[in-house]
Amino acid sequence: MNPPGSLGVLEPNVDEQSSTPILGPSIHSDNPQERIQARRLRIAARLEARRREALGEYLDGKKESEEDQSKSYKQKEESRLKLAKLLLCGTELVTNIQVATDIRETHRRAEEEEIKRQRVEKLENEVKTSQDKFDEITSKWEEGKQKRIPQELWEMLNTQQLHCAGLIEDKNKLISELQQELKSKDDQYVKDLKKQSDDICLLLERMEEQVKHVMKNFRQELQLIEKAFEVERQELLTSNKKKWERALQAHNSKELEYLMNRIKKVEDYEKELNKQRIWDCEEYNMIKIKLEQDVQILEQQLQAMKATYQLNQEKLEYNFQVLKKRDEESTVIKSQQKRKINRHFALIDGEKFRDVWLMNEDEAKDLIDRVFAADRIIHAQHLGLPWTAPDFWFLKNVGPISQQQQKSATQIVEEVLMQTEEEVEETASEPESYLDLPKQVSARTTKKILMLLCDESGFLIESKLLSLLLPLEKSERYLLKLDAIFSALGIESEDDLYKLVNFFLKYRAHRILSVQVKPLQQASVEQTSVASDLELEEQLEMEEEQEESLEEEEEQEEGLEEEGEQEEDLEEEEQKEEEEEQEEDLVEEGVQEESQVEEGEQQEEKKTLPSPWLIHPNDVLKILEAFVMSLKKPRDPRPPVRVPKATRNDSRDSEYWHALTTVISPTKQNLWDALYSALQKYHLVLTQRAKLLMENEALEQQNTELQMLLQQYLDSKINSQLRVPPTQVLRMPTK
Amino acid sequence: MQDPGTPAPPMSALSHSSVAPQERPSTVGPTASTQPSKASVTLVSTKSKKTGSLGNVHRMRRIIAEDAEWSLAIVPLLTELCIQHIVKNFAKNPILKQLLPEHQQKVLSHLSTDLPLEVTANLIEDENYWRRCCMQRWPVCHVARHGGSWKHMFFERHLENLLKHFIPGTTDPAVILNLVPLCKNYVRRIRMDQFLPPVRLPHTPRTGDQSDSGSEGDMDEPDTDHYQLGDLVAGLSYLEELDLVYGVKDCGMNFEWNLFLFTFQDCQSLAATIKACHTLKVFRLTRSKVDDDKARILIRSLLDHPALEELDLSHNLIGDRGARGAAKLLSHSRLRVLNLANNQVRAPGAQSLAHALAHNTNLISLNLRLNCIEDEGGQALAHALQTNKCLTTLHLGGNELSEPTATLLSQVLAFNTTLTSINLSCNHIGLDGGKQLLEGMTDNKTLLEFDLRLSDVAQESEYLIGQALCANREAARQRALNPSHFMSSMTANVLENSAG
Repeated sequence: MNPPGSLGVLEPNVDEQSSTPILGPSIHSDNPQERIQARRLRIAARLEARRREALGEYLDGKKESEEDQSKSYKQKEESRLKLAKLLLCGTELVTNIQVATDIRETHRRAEEEEIKRQRVEKLENEVKTSQDKFDEITSKWEEGKQKRIPQELWEMLNTQQLHCAGLIEDKNKLISELQQELKSKDDQYVKDLKKQSDDICLLLERMEEQVKHVMKNFRQELQLIEKAFEVERQELLTSNKKKWERALQAHNSKELEYLMNRIKKVEDYEKELNKQRIWDCEEYNMIKIKLEQDVQILEQQLQAMKATYQLNQEKLEYNFQVLKKRDEESTVIKSQQKRKINRHFALIDGEKFRDVWLMNEDEAKDLIDRVFAADRIIHAQHLGLPWTAPDFWFLKNVGPISQQQQKSATQIVEEVLMQTEEEVEETASEPESYLDLPKQVSARTTKKILMLLCDESGFLIESKLLSLLLPLEKSERYLLKLDAIFSALGIESEDDLYKLVNFFLKYRAHRILSVQVKPLQQASVEQTSVASDLELEEQLEMEEEQEESLEEEEEQEEGLEEEGEQEEDLEEEEQKEEEEEQEEDLVEEGVQEESQVEEGEQQEEKKTLPSPWLIHPNDVLKILEAFVMSLKKPRDPRPPVRVPKATRNDSRDSEYWHALTTVISPTKQNLWDALYSALQKYHLVLTQRAKLLMENEALEQQNTELQMLLQQYLDSKINSQLRVPPTQVLRMPTK
Repeated sequence: MQDPGTPAPPMSALSHSSVAPQERPSTVGPTASTQPSKASVTLVSTKSKKTGSLGNVHRMRRIIAEDAEWSLAIVPLLTELCIQHIVKNFAKNPILKQLLPEHQQKVLSHLSTDLPLEVTANLIEDENYWRRCCMQRWPVCHVARHGGSWKHMFFERHLENLLKHFIPGTTDPAVILNLVPLCKNYVRRIRMDQFLPPVRLPHTPRTGDQSDSGSEGDMDEPDTDHYQLGDLVAGLSYLEELDLVYGVKDCGMNFEWNLFLFTFQDCQSLAATIKACHTLKVFRLTRSKVDDDKARILIRSLLDHPALEELDLSHNLIGDRGARGAAKLLSHSRLRVLNLANNQVRAPGAQSLAHALAHNTNLISLNLRLNCIEDEGGQALAHALQTNKCLTTLHLGGNELSEPTATLLSQVLAFNTTLTSINLSCNHIGLDGGKQLLEGMTDNKTLLEFDLRLSDVAQESEYLIGQALCANREAARQRALNPSHFMSSMTANVLENSAG
């Protein structure tokens, strides 16, 4: 009926929990005494709670708590108790009727039992007495039978009748009594019925009354509770409102206070800010001045630094230039060294190859010699034919086969120079040693032409190289110069070189003819030629530039195929060429001087050697131009191989070596085979014959031995002693 | 509004702005107005010419007024019509389940309550319909007594009605048996407060022998058999409660003892019936003169019944032998409530009941009101309660108990924690017995009701006991509200008990 009662139980606990830490001493206090006290209190509270729980003192607890409960709760409890009591009383009142009826019923039953018992007793007594009487009567009947006298019998009958009537009367009386009782019971029953109906009416009445009463009470209590709640709510509202107002007021006042504080603070801060600002301004100015001064100083320093920097830069540039120069020199040296090394290795390889070749060839030749010896023996002794030594080309060959090897131009030049130097020492030299040179061109002429070329086209050589070459030997110098020139002109192979030489010779021949026709005009021609030289040179320059561009293109093409070293070479060449251009003018003068010097020489040489020395140095450039022009066309699809030595043509090697194996022709071999078989047979016959001879010899020897033995036996003394001498017996068969 | 005399200015004003609206009414007006009334044609045309747009309004209003067939009633929807038709022909052609829910509702709310049960019984589940049926038939309807279901109520009461007015031999049994398939799912309980006996022709001559009817009734037993429930109960598959009184109500001046006979035949058939009904939970047979033999027959049939929970044989003539049978039943069933109020059980019967009770764990309530078990039986029951841990309600009112029983009971009260209600009213407990009971009560925390009215107990002790009960009630209320405290208090009690 009162569900909020649970709240009433829970609330005090909450209150206790919340109130104790606030009111009592705190456990978190700084004072140790207070802490101890707090703990004690806590323990006490726990013990109290446990005790209460253990004893189940809810009611007490509630009563205690009720004091600080609200009115509504009190009202509820009151109402609840009141209503419970009401209900209990009401039901008791209603059930009282049932209980009353019950007890009446029990009483009735008890009484009934009692009456029943009495009645039964009474009836039994009655039965007994009536039985006695009946017995008496029946016994009297026996007496009556013996009565003979009618009066007596009558008398007796009368008395008997009287007795019977008495008995019947008794019985009737009993019956009437019982009927009376029954009637009273009936009345009782009716009364009971009435009573019960009354009871029922009462019960209904009470029930209705109870219902009404309970309803009324419930309504009343409900109203009371509602009122209590209302009151409580009002109180709560007012108190809360008050609290709220108080809080609001406090809040307002505090707010105002804060505002004032804030305004004051703002003012203070403003003042401070102003002060700060002024101070900052001053400071700023000071710093600005200082910084400006600093800037000026720094700018000065910067200027100074810049000056030193420039100085350093110049110095470094100078250093850089020097280093660059050195680098260039080193590259030249490097290239030279590289070239040398390459040549060296190639030579060594060639030597080795040649040695191996010679060794093998010697071996092969040895074998061939043996074969030829055998063949000769066969021919001479067995066949009786005259033997002629076969003559094959390869038999005369010594050393590796070289079929017009493509030597590089520089190599040829080197060789030529070397040879001519040798020739200087030994004038009697054979032009045949240079098998491949054109017949009409001697080494000397070549050398001369090359020398001329070298002197005349010095502009093609780098000035740096020239300066470097100065300390070198003459021949060496020429060689290197020529190398540079050839690379500039694009002459690489032996053929090119020879073409050049031929070109010169042809030109000279042509020139000679023209000179012979117009010897008088020579001077003028020379003049013109000098004049035209300049033009030609310009042209040449142009052409060379073209050539360079072409070459560059070619180099680009080549660059794809060639190795790094070669690329380096190309770069060097380019550099050289560039420098050539720069220094052409300078060189030109030198060349002219030299050419004048050489003219003297040439003139001297002309006397000694009539034919080739008619090429005027001035013509050299023309010839070169013409040569370059003519060379350009066939050279366009220039082969990419720059070092032809690297690949030696060995196509004829196998042929050579194979040819060596076929010194003996197959027909001859067949002949040999046939001869072999025939000789073998012959040998067999001979060996058999020898065997037979041996046998024969052995037999003969045996025979002689046996004869000797026999002789011995026959000659022995025993024969004479015997009666029948075996000799006698033996003679028989022998005879 | 406009005067016919002054039409010119507005006409001219309008004619400039809108000529067409002026023209239209003049042309449409006559054609439209030809249908309703030809007499007003000229009038309307002239008016319309004069009044312009106002004439239009007049005309429309007039048409509405003169349309004879105009009606505000809306033609009912087809669905409505269909529903009406369905309602009308429901008896012949019951269509319900196929309809939409809202239409079903409509149909159900319009169905007549007089429809034959064959149609409605298994078709209509709607409670409102059955409510209407019930309200129409009976002025007072306690639906709560029928499981809260109006349909159940209808069928149960309908069946009860039929059974009440069934006269064996005269009424056709098919009347009831035909109903079985219709109501078998809806009948949970049968409460019968009368069984009519068969009509006998030699009725009047026997009126004189009323006083001897008891002995004569036995002789006439075969003739006075009542309706036998066997077939009916077998058909009701959800029957849970049987509440029977073999008697006749409102017999008035036609009273005969024979009318109130519970014959052996009846008993046998009833016993077979309840034995066969495995769903039965509550069986009541009151005010039917059931004596020991009949009670034993009935109880024997109830032994090891799977569902029976309550047995009420109050207001009969059961003696000790019957009580012994009931005691046997206690240990052979799951009976929770046993009521033998207002019988003739005496001490031996109570002793046998106490013996069964001592180790029973099912029985919650035992009622032996208005018997005569006396102190011997009371003491036996008190002894049994010392070991029993299940019984909560014990009624021993009006049993001639006295002080010895009270002494024992006070001992029981001291440590029994299951009993909540004891009734010892209408006994002879006496002053000392009351004091002892009070002593017992001081240690008890569970008893809520203790009736000692009219049992010769001193008012003081009765009042004090009442106080203790009040405290117990309050404690029980607290326990119910917060079970945790209940547990603690229980443990506390146990501790106290063990200590004491």
